[in-house]
Amino acid sequence: MSTDTTPPPIGGLSARSPLGAGASRLQRTGRTLPFGDRRHQEAHQWLTDETYLLDAQRYEEWLTLLTEDIHYLMPVRVTTALGSGYDTSPGMAHFDEDKYSLSRRVARFLTEHAWTEDPPSRMRHHIGNVRTFATADPDHLIAESSVLLFRSRGDVNEPALVSAGREDLLRRGPDGWLLARRTIMADEAVLRMQNLAVFL
Amino acid sequence: MTDQTAVLRDVRRGMIPAHIYNDSETFALEKERLFGRAWLFVAHESEIPAPGDYVVRRVLEDSFIVTRDESGEIRAHFNMCLHRGMQVCRAEMGNASHFRCPYHGWSYRNDGRIVGLPFHQDAYGGEAGFRRKGQRLLPAPNLATYNGMIFISLDPDAPPLEDFLGDFRFYLDYYTRQSPSGIELRGPQRWRIKANWKIGAENFAGDMYHTPQTHTSVVEIGLFREPKAEKRKDGATYWAGNGGGTTYKLPPGDLDERLRYVGYPQEMIDRMKAAWSPQQSQVIGRDGFMISAASLFPNLSLVHNWPRVADSEAVLPFISIRQWQPISENETEVLSWFAVDAEAPEEFKALSYKAYLMCFGSTGMFEQDDVENWVSLTNTAAGSMARRLLLNSRMGLLEDGVQVSPTLTPDEFAGPGTARTGYSEYNQRELLNRWADHLERPQPRAATVEVGTGHGPDSCDAEPAGTDTAPRRSEGDPKETRS
Ligand code: FES
Ligand SMILES: [Fe+2]
Repeated sequence: MSTDTTPPPIGGLSARSPLGAGASRLQRTGRTLPFGDRRHQEAHQWLTDETYLLDAQRYEEWLTLLTEDIHYLMPVRVTTALGSGYDTSPGMAHFDEDKYSLSRRVARFLTEHAWTEDPPSRMRHHIGNVRTFATADPDHLIAESSVLLFRSRGDVNEPALVSAGREDLLRRGPDGWLLARRTIMADEAVLRMQNLAVFL
Repeated sequence: MTDQTAVLRDVRRGMIPAHIYNDSETFALEKERLFGRAWLFVAHESEIPAPGDYVVRRVLEDSFIVTRDESGEIRAHFNMCLHRGMQVCRAEMGNASHFRCPYHGWSYRNDGRIVGLPFHQDAYGGEAGFRRKGQRLLPAPNLATYNGMIFISLDPDAPPLEDFLGDFRFYLDYYTRQSPSGIELRGPQRWRIKANWKIGAENFAGDMYHTPQTHTSVVEIGLFREPKAEKRKDGATYWAGNGGGTTYKLPPGDLDERLRYVGYPQEMIDRMKAAWSPQQSQVIGRDGFMISAASLFPNLSLVHNWPRVADSEAVLPFISIRQWQPISENETEVLSWFAVDAEAPEEFKALSYKAYLMCFGSTGMFEQDDVENWVSLTNTAAGSMARRLLLNSRMGLLEDGVQVSPTLTPDEFAGPGTARTGYSEYNQRELLNRWADHLERPQPRAATVEVGTGHGPDSCDAEPAGTDTAPRRSEGDPKETRS
């Protein structure tokens, strides 16, 4: 249990994960980049293009946007008293993924036997509140965003929602930006979705 | 309320009226007669290792603060202020020496004793008006532990936990006692599914039959090599005491070889051999059966699998403990913990955690397809047609009651209880028979407790519940005592 009194920046949670050892440790520096800044515009466009792939479940293409050393983390949120210094479950997450485990998840959706997405869900990732930051390395950017996932399955049950904040570390690659680290902070301690057979 | 006699009679002969998976009257009975009586898992001691550590857990609508008090004793307090009934602790976990009610400021030590009552003299006229002495948050009527697993029962007359678990303890040890230090639990992940709680419990208890079909995809992607239909039916299911589960038949080898086959490092194997009885070792080493999924009546399940977690042939075993917490007849909160032997090497713990995440829990690739099925089943069970359908849950029995495959002898299966190889629904029937036993037996109304009148709960000791002591805590925030 943490003894800190201030929560760490979201992206710092990656370093605390038992599986985060290989992830980049770069953090944001300075104030938000102006909306007119080219780096901000590129990051924003990257996020919007990525969202399209996630809504369309074009996961093979999505995988190519991830670096080989990616850490994809979604901690479990817990309700704790104000000032207790932590609001995620120590040592537990929903997603705590590297490229291999993400590739298995994608491979599974490509089989004909991933029943949970057959018939497929109708999904819409609504993203917004995009803020970007420089890092100590000019080839890396931090992009913050909020995401609301609307997911509807079948014709009986109510649609399900997941609301989350994200912090991404983007790395400049030969053909554009790649995702090197993503930390997803769900806004619920108890998810109201039957599973996370989705990406956020 | 409709007479349930016919429903229970059908259940007992293995014919399941389909509506029991989505029926409000059935759920009302379950609340009163099953969850009001059975021993229910709430936490593991490793979740609250230090004095003052607490987690808040529910039994249906009842919230309990499960805490380790200053003397190290594990307690479960009903999370309701003795004054006007406010929820005393609104956090889910933390560390506190005291809990102070936010409404009027009554405060309680973490052993439950009331310690601060503002204006006791002015407002009540002191002890003559309100007997503060000996008042405490209402304790869970019964609390007991096994291998660090904390169970409570709302029935003051519940049989001892050991008797309730019975011979299922033999199997529980595989999951929770791989060394003298036992397990440490992480999590839980919590999420809600629109499915009836019984379906998961039945599935984990004995449904080897679903594995090759439901989980085809995880074999195709190379995550798990075992569920191929041929392999699965060679496993045995067992029932003992109030629980039962499934196993896989492992390739030839001795105990060490078979534990290595599922990915345990030698140092863990050595500790298992020391921690387990000869019979516990024989089930694996001599008989070749490796435990997999299991359920303890009514709503706790366990799983042990050994997937590949990297692009290599090596496999890594993991353990998960999960509870199917009923919300209503058609909704369940799943609490899914990752468990690992406390003495395991750190590297093993990290990879075992990865194995868990890939297979089970909110994102698990096994669990995703399970839940899809259970949600669908629950929806379909809601209407009037489901009331006409008696599902045949008699797999493993001929119509005249003759067994399809014989009971294994002690020479074939060293564990207690009854075991058989092959696909069957013996365990699902065992679970639902117990369910029927509870549902037909009315639960007497529990005695009421008066607060502050001298007819309240007995004082636990003579120590005067004097003035507010300053929160001792150096770790954790004193604010937490106000939560
Ligand atoms: S309800 Fe009044 S002090 Fe708790
Ligand atoms: Fe399953």
